[in-house]
Amino acid sequence: MRRILIGALAFVMALTFLIWRIDSPRVERFRAAFIDRVVPNLDWALLPVTKFVDMVEGFQSYASLYEQNQELRRELQQMKAWKEAAVQLEQQNAKLLAQNQVRLDPKLTSVSGVVLADAGSPFRQSVLLNVGARDGIVDGWATMDGLGLVGRISGVGQTTARVILLTDASSRIPVTIQPSGQKAMLVGDNSAAPPVEFLESPEQVRPGDRVISSGDGGVFPAGLLVGQVELDKDRRLRVRLAADYERLNFLRVLRSHPAERITAPGRLIAPAVPPRAEPLPAAEAAPQAEAGDG
Amino acid sequence: MVDPATARRARYCLLFLGLAAAILFVRLLPLSTVPARFPAPDLILCLALVWVMRRPDYVPALVIALVFLVDDILAMRPPGLWALIVLLGTEFLRAREATLRDLPFAVEWSMASALILAMMLANWFVLTVFMVPQIGLGPTVLHALATGLAFPLVLAATLAALRLRSPARGEPDTRGGRR
Repeated sequence: MRRILIGALAFVMALTFLIWRIDSPRVERFRAAFIDRVVPNLDWALLPVTKFVDMVEGFQSYASLYEQNQELRRELQQMKAWKEAAVQLEQQNAKLLAQNQVRLDPKLTSVSGVVLADAGSPFRQSVLLNVGARDGIVDGWATMDGLGLVGRISGVGQTTARVILLTDASSRIPVTIQPSGQKAMLVGDNSAAPPVEFLESPEQVRPGDRVISSGDGGVFPAGLLVGQVELDKDRRLRVRLAADYERLNFLRVLRSHPAERITAPGRLIAPAVPPRAEPLPAAEAAPQAEAGDG
Repeated sequence: MVDPATARRARYCLLFLGLAAAILFVRLLPLSTVPARFPAPDLILCLALVWVMRRPDYVPALVIALVFLVDDILAMRPPGLWALIVLLGTEFLRAREATLRDLPFAVEWSMASALILAMMLANWFVLTVFMVPQIGLGPTVLHALATGLAFPLVLAATLAALRLRSPARGEPDTRGGRR
């Protein structure tokens, strides 16, 4: 009797694994729904405990407050100089843009979310956000903290979404290295500084170069700051990420819409079909949906 | 009227579920998202092994399967595989519980470590055969090592805090027989 029970259990487990292997998306959707159901219920406990541990860590740095204060004052002084430069550049930029009539990508708006939980496994680097399909989040969108790129949405539940971090072993992001303009891939490998691979001429890249997303492949918006190039002990190029991975707290999910593709050269000159008037209900529904998302 | 032995078994079973849930909860806390240099030990596995080696009647196979399936789903692992391997591993221990009971601690520890390593390697091997993208062999062995090192700590904590002792000789077991 007992043997039959164990056999049945083992069979169910093996079957689950096989179904996952055969029809991964469906099971992953189930997983997202399951996590969506479970983890937000822990919200009341997750956030206070996290905040408490952060506070304890903050208290430990209390001792070095004086030095920090001095350092911050020095940095503030430098920042003021930079701010002055930035304001001047902004004015100049505005003037030039006005002369140019450049249209920046108007669709790049964002949804902000709070980190609920992390992956809970030493070999997976991902976090769970408290925004999901309800807020219009879609798989594949880019996620940033205040400064730099953090990862990509993968797995959306009704009220939660999972962000695969750039450090995860399955993360692959096309990047450009400035100022040389080299294209490369940022390949996560479970270390804090992911290596740069598929670089055409590494000799043109120096430590300290800026790494930004290149937008190749059409999934990611181009021009998001990723980090800086550095050399590790094996003289391999790695990227020190700009985002503060020590404390990911609030993240911005960038709404990106697929860029319009120009497939046939004839389309460039004249549309193949004369543009028809949009059906009225659709045209009315669209602005409302936009407003509701914001 | 509930038999006191049954009531205690149910209580300890709930306690096991509570401990596993607490470990899962702590693991989910987004304290640091920087990848660790040394993988953290799998404490739930340690807990399950300790309990199966000491009091197999407190942790039925169904409970173990359930806990590890939930762990699989939350930790983004392929669902079912790790739960299956842990189920088989604990059943292996359960079948040898009578012979394991009087062994010295060092033998018990090396037995558990060997089992942990075997289970993780089996997991790695199956994932490789099914061509699932996964971590390398090195981190897997490191993870097994960390879990093996954590085993005595979990054992000591369990013995000290929960007074989970091996059943005395002659105590009736679940099926009414004498040990």
